[in-house]
Amino acid sequence: MAVLGKKKKRVSDGVPMSSTADIAFLLLIFFLVTTTFPKDKGLSIVLPEPGEEAQVSQKNILHLLIQPNGTVEVKRGESQQVQTMRPSEVEGLWRQEVANNPNLIAAVKTHPDASYKYMVDVLDALKSANAERISLQVLED
Amino acid sequence: MGMKGGGFQKSSKASEEIPASSLADIAFLLLIFFMVTTVFQADRDRPIEWPQAEAAQKIDEKQKNIMNIWMEREGTVYLNDQPHTMEEITAVVAPLYAASERALVISIRGDQDVPYQYMDQLQTALVNAGVVRVVFATTLEQSMQRARR
Repeated sequence: MAVLGKKKKRVSDGVPMSSTADIAFLLLIFFLVTTTFPKDKGLSIVLPEPGEEAQVSQKNILHLLIQPNGTVEVKRGESQQVQTMRPSEVEGLWRQEVANNPNLIAAVKTHPDASYKYMVDVLDALKSANAERISLQVLED
Repeated sequence: MGMKGGGFQKSSKASEEIPASSLADIAFLLLIFFMVTTVFQADRDRPIEWPQAEAAQKIDEKQKNIMNIWMEREGTVYLNDQPHTMEEITAVVAPLYAASERALVISIRGDQDVPYQYMDQLQTALVNAGVVRVVFATTLEQSMQRARR
């Protein structure tokens, strides 16, 4: 019986320190893996320099007039003909138009009372169609 | 002589193993290094409803060169947690833009329902401040949602 009692005392009463490194590395790797840096997403655009005004021939402009209810009125250059469509249809339209005229510029004119999201929808459609020459304006009567 | 090892004794008493006792120090050092060097964004998020766009792309610029301008539904503008009037924007942004050597990218974070006239005023103010690169911050829209629109 005395022998059994001696054997029990061999258990160390200190906290095992050799695994601290493993714990620290585990924490380190966990945070390295789970950290996601919020990378902003958005539609980028280049603003004109102050006072910069380019003269563009009317036939190279596609007017996209965004109305307060979210519909888009499309006017081509000088023609007074108006075509009404939804923002999502602008993408197909732009692809068609730019195939006919590679110098085309999209003039997005938004009504002052129209929601920002309608402008974003149209800009999104243009960006989806790889449009590069975009001008943002406010619609004046 | 018949000695083992040709009469040579091990000269070095250094252990052949990599010292494992310093691993904890290294790990904690790395941990503290990353804790100290991690920079969180400077301004707090405003409560806005984000517009959605399918063609949204990641802003290809360092975090420190991105400046957020928030616009809430009523057209109030926030810059670095401070509300500003439209007239102040040009005066506030222009020196910051010059200080960044024209590398600054403005991220416009507008509520999706803000009337466009305020957006236009903001753009005019930014043009006057000489800003060139602007991003309309959006969340990514899934194609399925878009089809319903």
